[in-house]
Amino acid sequence: MKSKLLLALLTVTLAGTAIAQVKTEDAIKYRQSGYGFMAWNMARIKANVEGQYNKEEVIKAANAIQAIANSGMGALYPQGSDKGTGWEATRVKPEFFTNKEGVTKVAMAFNKEANEMAKVAATGDAAAVGAQLGKLGGTCKGCHDDFKAKK
Amino acid sequence: MRKDLDMNSKKFHLWDLPTRLFHWLLVLCVLAAVVSGQLGGNLIDWHGRVGLVIVGLLAFRLVWGVVGSSYARFRQFLPTPTRVRAYLRGDWQGEGHNPLGALAVFGLLGLLTAQVVSGLFSNDDIAFVGPLFELVSKNLSNRLTGIHHLLSNLLIGLVALHIVAIAFYGHVKKQKLVKPMITGWQEGEGESATGGGVLPLIVALAVAAGAVYGASGAWLPEPPPPPPAAETPSW
Repeated sequence: MKSKLLLALLTVTLAGTAIAQVKTEDAIKYRQSGYGFMAWNMARIKANVEGQYNKEEVIKAANAIQAIANSGMGALYPQGSDKGTGWEATRVKPEFFTNKEGVTKVAMAFNKEANEMAKVAATGDAAAVGAQLGKLGGTCKGCHDDFKAKK
Repeated sequence: MRKDLDMNSKKFHLWDLPTRLFHWLLVLCVLAAVVSGQLGGNLIDWHGRVGLVIVGLLAFRLVWGVVGSSYARFRQFLPTPTRVRAYLRGDWQGEGHNPLGALAVFGLLGLLTAQVVSGLFSNDDIAFVGPLFELVSKNLSNRLTGIHHLLSNLLIGLVALHIVAIAFYGHVKKQKLVKPMITGWQEGEGESATGGGVLPLIVALAVAAGAVYGASGAWLPEPPPPPPAAETPSW
């Protein structure tokens, strides 16, 4: 009992920052939810570009994507979570956990374009938003190609 | 009809114009589809449009393989085991697609058909869905998308084999296969193609147009407007 307490104390001290302990199953759920929510917002932006353009709608959607992109989602990829089921079986490839350089590259690219998307959305320039949506979608694909298993 | 011409120059009409147009348009479209599919981004929308053109081309060719001119007909070059064996032994006599080449033709047409069909129901988990995505569940769409990716690699492989084989025939066996596919004329003695007149052409074009319309999903009913969101303070 005492040793367990000590261990817990040690863990908390070593961790330094407060990280909520998330079960793998929950981590997979959270990240799947994040991508699903972003997909809704991507579709919203696309619908606005292709149809009646509503600046406020696009700003909301772009800001939502930007917020998720900058939320530190990497924390939702604990070691070993290449297997497991959240809302559905995870499709992350094992390479995600070994190719750190590759993951950093696609994640940085995504962050950059998501931030840019929010900036462009604020201008209300539909053509520019359409072009930026393509760039942003390209960074999604960059990760899907390398780290998301095909069904 | 062209007999006197044939006698003088020792060549005969092999590939009719619709077959040649089909072939080279398909080359362009497959190239565009591969590039747009690999690059992604906004080009994915063009990928979808090019896919619909390929649907039309394939539908045309499938009909033309029945009603087209003689050398373009499937029955004429059906790669039966007997014919393939005869060809491998060196006993095969004929013009047009040889039995081995016919295997590639059917393989390419079959793979491309599977490729466009799977693409129609696909999604990229980003912001693109195929025009008939609404007709299937997300789960099935995901599976078809996986098949679409797998087949694209097979297709690229088969196209590469097709090109290597043509180069092999050109350099080693001294048979020029590209030129007849451009000009329609084959050097040597042989009977010129017959059949495949205007009426069959109209039928094939009509079927192609119908196929593109069906694949485009333009006939799908407009989704009902979503129920209004609950009245809440502005989120």
